[in-house]
Amino acid sequence: MARPQPWRGLLWLSAREMHRVLKLWTQTTLAPVISSALFILVFGLSLSTRISQVEGFPYREFIVPGLIAMAMAQAAYSNNSSSIFQARSDRYIHDVLAAPIRPWQMNVGLTIGGVFRALLIGAGLLAVALPLTDVPVRHPLELAAAVLLIVTLFGAMGVVVGTYAETFDHHTFVNNIVILPLTFLGGVFYSVSILPSPWREISHANPLFYIVNAVRYGFLGISDVPAWLAFAVTIVMTAALVGWAQYLFATGRKLKP
Amino acid sequence: MSTVPVTPGPAALSVQALTKRYDDGTLALDELDLEIPAGEFFGLLGPNGAGKTTLIGAVTNLIRISSGRARVFGHRSDSLEARRLVGVAEQEPNLDRFLTVREALMYHGGYFGMSRDEAGARAEEMIDIFDLRAKADVRAPKLSGGMRRRLLLARALLHEPRLVILDEPTAGVDVELRQELWRYIRRLHSQGTTILLTTHYMEEAEALCEDIALITGGRIVARGSATDLKERFGVVTLEDVYLRTVARSLEREASPL
Repeated sequence: MARPQPWRGLLWLSAREMHRVLKLWTQTTLAPVISSALFILVFGLSLSTRISQVEGFPYREFIVPGLIAMAMAQAAYSNNSSSIFQARSDRYIHDVLAAPIRPWQMNVGLTIGGVFRALLIGAGLLAVALPLTDVPVRHPLELAAAVLLIVTLFGAMGVVVGTYAETFDHHTFVNNIVILPLTFLGGVFYSVSILPSPWREISHANPLFYIVNAVRYGFLGISDVPAWLAFAVTIVMTAALVGWAQYLFATGRKLKP
Repeated sequence: MSTVPVTPGPAALSVQALTKRYDDGTLALDELDLEIPAGEFFGLLGPNGAGKTTLIGAVTNLIRISSGRARVFGHRSDSLEARRLVGVAEQEPNLDRFLTVREALMYHGGYFGMSRDEAGARAEEMIDIFDLRAKADVRAPKLSGGMRRRLLLARALLHEPRLVILDEPTAGVDVELRQELWRYIRRLHSQGTTILLTTHYMEEAEALCEDIALITGGRIVARGSATDLKERFGVVTLEDVYLRTVARSLEREASPL
């Protein structure tokens, strides 16, 4: 046998995570695209004639960036938290831990699944939203950067929560009680600028508010805060979560008794 | 029993003052010292909770060591090189529920740095050796207990490790499969592979192992060939040796006076 190459472990681990997404595609990809597309149809198209423009855009265009951001964030988080939790509870993560793969490679490999799933969902939603709503893409590079940050941030969050979770309920709790409400309250369906004080100021303390605005800036060229601030906060959060996930793999804490 | 001389060079496994205390305070390994020469067929006997599985976990990067050191063929046990040289079949099946038999073997090969062609060829070889052909495209949850045991062993051996660790490999299997596994393990040993076997079956240890250690309370309490141990303790069977050593240690722990 030729001398093994450690980086192959990263590629195979990534392939395994993407394989899992594709094997369960109706659940991992199709269902989220359908549910988010329904939001666009119900809230966007049906209410668009009754709601005047928001920040100069038809309502059906205004909500698309937030809905895509929300769907991708949830997908990246759910995929990785459930994958890591299953790997730990079934103990097949031992095959990875015992393999000659570096901690950062394990971290990246196990995060890739959530990134892949989120990108599939984002692409699917975009394919639905573009013809239905005519939403523009004013800053494609910034949009690509925002998307990359979101999938990395929530993918890493999923890895962290999946590593700490003691029961299946733990990782669904974080999604249902933390991510989903904060995303909704982060301005997916409205501009925070229309909120009265102090709710407008309180919204600025919501970290997901900046994520929604980073994506909205990429699509529409508008943001409730300066674009640089939305990206800066998102970058800091991403770095923190990626660092936390890396700490867990480097030390083995919670992964190895 | 094999008469293959042990291989010169660094010990297959060298453990010095290895200690593991779990977070709940349980002392599983108590400054354990152990050296297994390369090429040896070594048996580790002990009651449940003696530290056998913890020792295996410490050597294979599945457990965080509290103190002490472990080396595999001269390499730190948590190094990439050491992990590449070790194959482990754990006591409890820990198979990836999403993968078929063939996929489980191929991905394992990939984690250990094999190319797709190498992993594929080796997977087909192991499928034939362990008579898994009929179930090659079946996922792990649908396999019988015996099939899972075969797959665990095939996976542990796929990357041609120099040190193979088998944690109760024949627990719960039928007589025919046990004999078959014994034959394969003996052949493996005759080719120079170092084997570390844990078992509750005395006849298995006596039939297969050149050197046997008895462990209880996280420490080695006796070591030698089956013949040496029986002579030393003046008994007829290995079971009597076990009862004299392990039971005595347990009594001492229970009644310190």
